[in-house]
Amino acid sequence: MITELRSIPLSPEMRAPQTAPLLEVDRLKAYYKTQMFGVDREVRAVDDISLKVNRNEIYGLAGESSSGKSSLIKTIAGAIRPPLRVVEGSVRFNFKDGERDIYKLSPQELSAIRWSHLSYIMQGSMSVLNPVRRIKHAFVDFALPHVNAKGADFTSLVERHLKRVHLDPAVLQAYPHELSGGMRQRVTIALATVCGPEFIIADEPTTALDVIVQKGVLLMLREIQQELRSSVLFVTHDMAVHANLTDRLGIMYAGRLVEEGRTRDLFKRPLHPYTAHLISSLPRIGDEAPKKGLEGSPPSLANPPPGCRFHPRCPLAIDICRLEAPPMMEILPGHRAACHVAQADPTRVETVG
Amino acid sequence: MSAFKIFRDLFSHNGEFAIGLVLLLVVLAVAACSFFSPYPPMDVYVVPPDVPPSWEHPLGTTSRGQDVFWQLTFAIRNTLLFGIVVAILSRIISLFVGLISGYKGGWVDRVLMSINDTFVVIPLFPILVLFYFIMRDQMSWALLAVITALLGWAYDARLIRSIAMSLRTREFTRQAVFSGMSTGKIVLQEHLPFVLPIVFSTTMNNINWSIGIEVTLSVLGFTDINTPTIGGMIYWANQHAALVSGIWWWVTFPVALVIMLFIGLFLLAISMNEYIDPRSRLSRLGGQA
Amino acid sequence: MTPNLLDVENVDKIFTRGGIISRRVNHAVNDVSFSLTADKPEVFTIIGESGSGKTTLAGMILNSLAPTSGRILFQGKDLRDVRSRRDRLEFMSHVQAVFQNPFDAFNPLKRVDRYLFSAAQNFTECRTTDEVEERVDDSLRKVGLSLAEVRGRYPHEMSGGQLQRVAIARALVPNPSLIVADEPVSMIDASLRMTVINLFKKLRDELGVSIIYITHDLATAYYISDRLIIMQKGKVVEGGDARTVLAAPQHPYSIKLRQAVLSVDGAWRDDPLTEAVHVVAS
Repeated sequence: MITELRSIPLSPEMRAPQTAPLLEVDRLKAYYKTQMFGVDREVRAVDDISLKVNRNEIYGLAGESSSGKSSLIKTIAGAIRPPLRVVEGSVRFNFKDGERDIYKLSPQELSAIRWSHLSYIMQGSMSVLNPVRRIKHAFVDFALPHVNAKGADFTSLVERHLKRVHLDPAVLQAYPHELSGGMRQRVTIALATVCGPEFIIADEPTTALDVIVQKGVLLMLREIQQELRSSVLFVTHDMAVHANLTDRLGIMYAGRLVEEGRTRDLFKRPLHPYTAHLISSLPRIGDEAPKKGLEGSPPSLANPPPGCRFHPRCPLAIDICRLEAPPMMEILPGHRAACHVAQADPTRVETVG
Repeated sequence: MSAFKIFRDLFSHNGEFAIGLVLLLVVLAVAACSFFSPYPPMDVYVVPPDVPPSWEHPLGTTSRGQDVFWQLTFAIRNTLLFGIVVAILSRIISLFVGLISGYKGGWVDRVLMSINDTFVVIPLFPILVLFYFIMRDQMSWALLAVITALLGWAYDARLIRSIAMSLRTREFTRQAVFSGMSTGKIVLQEHLPFVLPIVFSTTMNNINWSIGIEVTLSVLGFTDINTPTIGGMIYWANQHAALVSGIWWWVTFPVALVIMLFIGLFLLAISMNEYIDPRSRLSRLGGQA
Repeated sequence: MTPNLLDVENVDKIFTRGGIISRRVNHAVNDVSFSLTADKPEVFTIIGESGSGKTTLAGMILNSLAPTSGRILFQGKDLRDVRSRRDRLEFMSHVQAVFQNPFDAFNPLKRVDRYLFSAAQNFTECRTTDEVEERVDDSLRKVGLSLAEVRGRYPHEMSGGQLQRVAIARALVPNPSLIVADEPVSMIDASLRMTVINLFKKLRDELGVSIIYITHDLATAYYISDRLIIMQKGKVVEGGDARTVLAAPQHPYSIKLRQAVLSVDGAWRDDPLTEAVHVVAS
C-alpha cells in the first residue's frame, strides 16, 4: 500500500491542495493597551477580523488612516510589540513544508521563516537599505542566512534573480542614494523576493512614488508574483491601484473588515455602503459628474460608536445598525459584507454614491 | 497640570530623576537653613576654633572660629545662586540667538553664528583670570556671574538653532506667517515651547558648569573671597593648611556637598535628556524603540 | 483696463548648493509664464511630479521665495516691491495659502483657533473680540464648520479633513482673491477628499476666489480645474483648457503622465496586465 502511494509522483500543488488557503486569519483581535498615569487605555485596532489569502493570489487590503490596516499587517507579519497585543484569535500559515501558527513560534523559528517563507516590502525603501553601504550588503545581510549558497554561488544567485526582475546587476555596486526612488523600491522588491518567499506583505510600496514610476513598480511586483506563484497581501488606500492589481480585496473600516470579495465584483457591485461610496467618489478623467465626500469623520478607535461603526456616516443606516454590529456574511458567492441593509436587500446599496 | 504629570511620571518611572531630585532637595534644604543661622556669615571667631564634629557643632568649626555647618549653608546658597543666575542669563542669550538665527536664516543666521562660533572657541579660563587681574577689587560676585554667563551660552545656542531650523520648515510655521503673526510672536509662541525641554536639560548642565568655574576660581583666590561660597570655604581651609593640621571637616563637608549638587544636577540633566529623546521615551512606555 | 489678478512673467529660479569647488546648480523653475484674469475666477492647476518645480513656483507666487529672474505681478504690482511688514500683510490679505499636510499645518502644542483669530486681527478691520469672533465664525461657516465646533480644540482632536477645512477657513478670513493650495488633498483620507475638493469649487463659484491648485493627481485636476499647466523639470511642457489637455495630451511627457494614470473603470477587462493575472489565478 505504502509503496504504491509513493510511486505516484506528487506535484507541489497536490501535496498542498489548492483548497487550503496559504494564510488563515481567524477571529483576530489585536488591541493597543497602554497604561499611562494609572489610566488604562484600549485601542481596538484589529477587532475580530477573519480572512483567508489563497495561494498564488494578490489580496488587496484597503482602508483609511486609523482603520487598523497597519496593525493588521503587523500582527500577520508577527511583528507585534507592546503596547500592541493579540487578545484573541490566530494567524496561521500553511507553508509548503508545514503549517505554522505565527504566535506559537519562538523568535528563532519566526526569524527562520522570515525572508524564505514570509517577506515584507515597506513604503520607505531607506528603512531597509543602509544609506552608507552598497546594495550588495543588503542582500548579504538579509538573504544569505536563508539560502544554501555561499560566496560566488550566492552572488550568481542574486544576479540571476535581478536579471529575472529586469534589474541590471550593476545596482549591487551602487549606494542607495545613487538610485532614484523608483529604482530603490525595485531593489527592495528584488530583496524581498530573492529567497522565493511564499507570502509577501507589501505595505503601501508605491505610495511615495511618482505616478509614472508607480505603474512600472506595480508591474514588476505582479511579474514576480506570477513567476514565484506566491501570495501577496497588498496594502494601500489607493483604490485605483487595487482595481488594477489585486485579485481579491478586503475593505477595512474602524478596525473591522467590512467587505471582502473578488476585486472586480467589489468594484462592479459593492455590498457595503462605505465601499460603494469609496468607489463612486473616485474622480475619473472624462467623468464630469459631481462627486460627494462622505459626511462626518472616521471614528476614534479608542471610543468607537456602538453597533455598526459606520452607521453615523451611513446614508442607509436603520435602527438595528445603531444597536448591533453586523456580522460578516457571504451575500453573493465569494463576496462577504458586514452590513445589515445589504444582508436584507443587496440592491439597496446601489443607491449610495 | 501637564507639567505636574510629567514630573510624577518621571519620578515614578525614572530612577535617575528620583535620585537626582532627592540629592538636589537635600542641597536646597541645607541652603535654606542659612536663613536660620545663629551667626552672621562674615563674622569670624564666633565659636571656639578647630572643634571636631560634635553635638554642639555637628560639622565641627574652622580655624577662623566659624561653625562649618552654618558657614556651609551660606556657602552653598551663594554658590547655587551663582549657578542659577549664570544659567538664567546665558539661557536668555542662547534662546535669543538660537531661535532668531534658526528662524531667520540667511545673513542674520550667518552673523549670529559667526559670533556664536567665536564664543565657542574662546579659551574660557584665561579670560576669567584676566578679568580678575583687571578688575581686582571691583570683581564682585554679580560681575563674575555676568561674565560667566556671557561666556557660557554659545554651545546651547547652536543646539537651539538646529531645532529652530527644523521648526522653520514645518507647515505650521508657514500657517503662522500666513496668519499675519510677527517674527517675535512666531518665535516666542510657536517655537519656544518646542525648545523648552532642551532648555531645562541644558540649564542643569549649565548650573553645574558655572559652579565648577566659580569653585575653581575661588579655590585659586581669583574671586571675591569675602562672600562665603563653597570655593571660598575651600580657599580659606587651604590658607590655614587645614588638611595638614588635621582639620579635615573644614574641607570634606563642603566638597561632599558640592559633589552631591553636581551628581544631583547631572542625574536630572540626563533623565531630562532621556525624557526629551522620543526613542527612549517610547521604549519606556513600551512602544517601539 | 484693470490689471490681471496675477501675472507670472518668464520666471526662473535657480538654487545653487555647495561652495566654490563643488557647486551644484538646480534650475528648479525655468522660464514659466502664465496669467490669471481678474474678471473671472478660476481654478488654475499646476500638475507636476516631484522635482518638477511646482512647489518652488508656488513659493514664489506666495512671495516666500524671490525669483532669480523674471517677475511676478499681483494686481499689477511687482512682488519684489512687497518688502515691509505692512506691505506683506496687505499682500497676504489678498493672496492666501493652504498647505499639504493638515496634520502638520497647526502647531500640535497650540489650539487651532489661534491662527484664525490671528488672521482676523492682522488682516481685517475687526478690532473688538466680538467682531473678530464673528469674522472667524463667518469663515468657518463657509467651509461647513462653526466657531463653536473649533474653539479650544487641539489639532490631534480633529480629523485630517476637518483640519484641512479649518486651514481653508483660516485662508478665507481676509476675503482673499487668490488661494494657492499645494497638494491640499494628498494626505487626506479617500472618504473625506472630495469634500475638500468640492469646497474649492464652491469658493470659486460662490465666493469668486481664484485658486491655484498644485497637484500630481490628474483625476482630481480634471474634476476641478478650468485651466492647467503641466510641468516637467522646471519647464512648462503643456498648458491650456484642463479638459482638452487631459483628454488629448500632446507633449510626450503629458502623454506618458496621462497613460500612467491607473484607470478604475473596467481595469480588470481592458488592462492586459490584469487580464494576465486572472488567467494565471483561475
